Amino acid sequence: MASIELLLIIALASGFLAYLLGRVNRVYGAIVTIVSSMFVFSSLAYFGFTDSLDTTVSILPYVTFQVTYLGMFFAVMITFIYAMVSFFNPMFIKDYKYPGAYSMLYILSMAGVIGVFFTDNFMVMFFFFEFIVWTSMFLIPLGHSRKAAVSYYAFSAVGSFALLFAIFMMREAAGSFGINAGLAAISGTNAIVVFILLIVSAFAKLGAFPLHTWLPIAHGNAPHPFSPVLSGALVKLGAFVAVMALIKITPNSYVIVALDLPLAQYLVAIFAGLSIVFGTLMAIRQDDAKKLLAYSSMSHGGYILLAFSLGSSIGLSGGFYHIVTHALATGAAFLAIAAVGRQTGTTKMSELGGVIQKMPVTYVVYLIAIISMAGIPPMGGFISKWLIFQAVIDKGLILLAAAVFFGSIGSFLYVFRPLAALFLGQEKPQFKGILKEAPVIMLIPMIVLSGMNLVTGIFPNIFLQFINKVIVELGMAPVVLGTYTIQGTNGILDPLQITIAFGIGVVIAFIIFILLKKSKQVGLMDTYTAGNFIYSEELMHYSVDFYAPIERLYEKHTTHVQDMYKSLENKVKEFGNVVKYFFFTNKPEITVFWILIIIGALLWGDLL
Amino acid sequence: MLQYAAIVLIMLGLYGILTKRNVIKIIVSLNILEIGLNLFIVSVGFVDGGLAPIFTSQNATNDLNFVDPLPQALVLTAIVIGVGTTALGLAIAKTIYAKYGTFNLDEMGEK
Amino acid sequence: MSAILLIVIPLLAAFLSILVKKYSANILLVVSFASVVLLNYIPLEVITIGGFAAPYGINLILDQYSLIALYAVNVLFFLVVAINCAKFKKLSSILLVALAGLNGMILTGDLFNLFVFMEVSGIAAYLMTTTNQKPLATFNYLVQGTVGSSLYLLGLILLYAMFGTLNMQDMAFQISSSGYHIAVTAFPFLLMFIGFGVEAKLLPFNSWVQGILGSSNRLTGPMIASVYAAAIGFVLGRLLTELFVFEGTLLLIVTAILGFSIVAGEAMAFGAKKVREILLFSSIAQAALVALVFLSGFTGLAALLLIANTAGKLILFLITNTATDQLGNDDISTLQGLFVNNKVVGVSFTVAVLNVLGLPMFFGFVLKMNILLEFFQTDHLLWPAVILIVSVVEGIYFIRLLLKLWFKESDLPQVEFEFTLKYVVVVVAALLILFGVYTAPVEQAADDLTAIQYIEGGNL
Repeated sequence: MASIELLLIIALASGFLAYLLGRVNRVYGAIVTIVSSMFVFSSLAYFGFTDSLDTTVSILPYVTFQVTYLGMFFAVMITFIYAMVSFFNPMFIKDYKYPGAYSMLYILSMAGVIGVFFTDNFMVMFFFFEFIVWTSMFLIPLGHSRKAAVSYYAFSAVGSFALLFAIFMMREAAGSFGINAGLAAISGTNAIVVFILLIVSAFAKLGAFPLHTWLPIAHGNAPHPFSPVLSGALVKLGAFVAVMALIKITPNSYVIVALDLPLAQYLVAIFAGLSIVFGTLMAIRQDDAKKLLAYSSMSHGGYILLAFSLGSSIGLSGGFYHIVTHALATGAAFLAIAAVGRQTGTTKMSELGGVIQKMPVTYVVYLIAIISMAGIPPMGGFISKWLIFQAVIDKGLILLAAAVFFGSIGSFLYVFRPLAALFLGQEKPQFKGILKEAPVIMLIPMIVLSGMNLVTGIFPNIFLQFINKVIVELGMAPVVLGTYTIQGTNGILDPLQITIAFGIGVVIAFIIFILLKKSKQVGLMDTYTAGNFIYSEELMHYSVDFYAPIERLYEKHTTHVQDMYKSLENKVKEFGNVVKYFFFTNKPEITVFWILIIIGALLWGDLL
Repeated sequence: MLQYAAIVLIMLGLYGILTKRNVIKIIVSLNILEIGLNLFIVSVGFVDGGLAPIFTSQNATNDLNFVDPLPQALVLTAIVIGVGTTALGLAIAKTIYAKYGTFNLDEMGEK
Repeated sequence: MSAILLIVIPLLAAFLSILVKKYSANILLVVSFASVVLLNYIPLEVITIGGFAAPYGINLILDQYSLIALYAVNVLFFLVVAINCAKFKKLSSILLVALAGLNGMILTGDLFNLFVFMEVSGIAAYLMTTTNQKPLATFNYLVQGTVGSSLYLLGLILLYAMFGTLNMQDMAFQISSSGYHIAVTAFPFLLMFIGFGVEAKLLPFNSWVQGILGSSNRLTGPMIASVYAAAIGFVLGRLLTELFVFEGTLLLIVTAILGFSIVAGEAMAFGAKKVREILLFSSIAQAALVALVFLSGFTGLAALLLIANTAGKLILFLITNTATDQLGNDDISTLQGLFVNNKVVGVSFTVAVLNVLGLPMFFGFVLKMNILLEFFQTDHLLWPAVILIVSVVEGIYFIRLLLKLWFKESDLPQVEFEFTLKYVVVVVAALLILFGVYTAPVEQAADDLTAIQYIEGGNL
């Protein structure tokens, strides 16, 4: 038996240890993050899957624990991402302004994850929820931009406070902060309000439309190793909230008979569909590979929300599985980009090219990750998207199905771009001779994640069986699984067969590649265009304006949401200035004037 | 009657603070406000045809119609406080004049 | 030992310190420390002065509530004085008078006596703020403060004319047993509320705040924003819970004032570009929030929130004003990167800010959650919504400020923080964390304070 409380305390304590050791030598602090996160992940996974997590609490005040399959699913997955990413910390720690603080906050935010997912008390959950917010908020400005942290905090705060308000409403209904009691007790109009609040919270955390603007800013500017944690792990807190809202609360809303779907769920599905489409369109435009992946997170957040909103077993399991596959894929992709960023100093595609020559392993990791993200077999992303397609088509939601397919094709368009621009193509002159493959310690997590991407694609049932337990716990029928097959609503999927077919194709292609003549390397300047003399290699970089014709269709409409928030911000400032103008001058009579006005208001009302 | 006079004085004081732009005049207005207030306090204790609230050999019983002595005691304190504030205000007015060379709030060129 | 010593000793010392100018700073330090120590030895009791029983004479009330208030004010006062007494020797006597006035204000159970102490501490405050070198702002403060207290006095006299008593307890009893229509007491109550509103920084009456706190120095900033705010807040809390009866139009007006103060305060801080302005506008919002919580009847939580806020403001203003005194101005761009070389001070500042924001692990979180819970339990859904929405705004500007102060690459501002200041801010910050984690005593204290409904004394 392993006590969750003990794990939590160990995690918190190791955070402070990391700080102290980080003061001695910054690398020691980073090593503590590896040890601590690996320890937390492996004990959670080992004791969790053997059903031997102990929930007794003896030291911490107020905290109570429970083990649910749902919580364990999220906790194990998120700590896995933390553990994998932590291997990158020692290599990046030297760039940070406050290395000790980085190591400490990294571990503390992970400790918060344990608290959120293993408690049966809303207040404790919210405590750790906010704890994660402020610890991770101080990690972001260690990267490129301070504004990013502000934007992250603003949207997180909206999410947290919506959640808090919902929690208090449920507490009023149930009389206690118990999660299960609260969710069960809410009903009537209050249920609708709570549903909306939870959905706002989920959208804000997941970065779904229209609360998405923080995603590219925060993910794009966070320290390289922290971006995968944000995108692969912390964003998924929103999915957890979404499950509570969409599955456990059924507001008494109008049911659309033709679709057999309550209106509330349908609206969420529509917004999820919009997130998919907008995320995809925006990702296509990005020049910075990290921002591109951030927008892809937005679109995949849409997939998850859409899957949950359908309310069917297939949809649910698709959603849960997509959480896993997206976390693995985006984690691997961000890590690969981080590795490139470390070796070259930039993540902008227009400044890079031909990295494959010197970093082949990183290239393969990225390739596998994007195959999974685009939903192509034999990677995990294919299985989860297949399940979501099944669920959407089963409901007969034509438009949403179109959005889902669009997102899938679109994601191929955008993930291919960094591949082409960053890894393939010609080597840039400024990196010639100095670029090297990433160090071994960074390759370990990347290779593990790639392996997981493959395993999730070939043997999905290992994971789906556990997800079935989660679904049953949520009160739905499990998805029918064979030894290697998945039973959909209109067909059976056999991932192993697909993999074998795919493998044969790869082998044939490889044979052809070996047999054919080798391609010849030429310099970028070894060409001419319409008789022009090429004098700069940058001009020949083909990632610039890669999808110009598509982009041109909507390039004037990309900033509406940002503008909206910007103008909201300005409105608050203007309001403050107006108040200041009316009340704050260095003239003594102002106060007297307002006093008289207020006395007048009273006399007008009651006495005269 | 006294109450009305007091209220008029208070209003006058508030009006002065509200409209005057001169530091000294504002202090004077404050004083008028305070005098009005003090008058009001005294007037609260007034009893028509009342005696001074002192036990003497002639007035040796509680049944007599004494005026309320408490407001008179309060007013003494209030007057002292008012004087203190006025003195301080004038001292500050002096430093203002030393700094800006004028008593007029509009001419000081400071927001 | 009697509570009256808390007023008498500083007052006596104030006169003594004029006689022995040389040692005035030492006297100040010793007396302010002594009154903190003294608090441990004073029994809870009601003291009648001059042998007149309560409704006829003045009484001082030392109950659980005023004891906590006295601890907060005296400790904060001592900390501010300990850091500043060497530099502001000339103000020693004034500071001693201020201490006497503040203690008296908290202790007294008599409404007119309260006015006297309010004026005493007020005059001390006007004098203190002359060290800001902004005579116009001080003048502004003086005029508004005097008008405010005059209105308080007017309201008080009206009540006296109606009910024939000045004792707080007796007055409350008379009002409730008189059966008067609520409109009769509305006018005097509003006058008294406005009178306190000026000192308590409630929004339409507080235009002095910008001039005073916006150009405050190391003494006046923490003194006005922290020590005075605590004292006034506690007294306002006592009046709100024990004396004032707000209903009908009056309640509407008062809640509108408080709600507007909260929202507008945060909005103004959001647009401010100077560090001290951010702090002062946010303290306007917090003062209004405290008053709102008092008004809603959650006395214990309001008192603790007041302590948390004023302790936080102590840290924030001490650090900001020390930096401003040395750098010449308080534009965010000037102070940017302040904490890069002053990490200890920076961490304390950060703790104070996170505490104000009510993030977990800090004292503010416990209070915020309990306050929201109370509002929900009494079916007030509007206030939690307002509080949470302004919290987002508050979070944005404070986080923005924090990041600016922590991150700058080169050309860092050079500021020396002396050891005493570091020691003080670290201890206060550590306490904010301690009570954020170890919440049992906090909730116990909140319950205890709310349970006290009537002060003892007043021979009814």
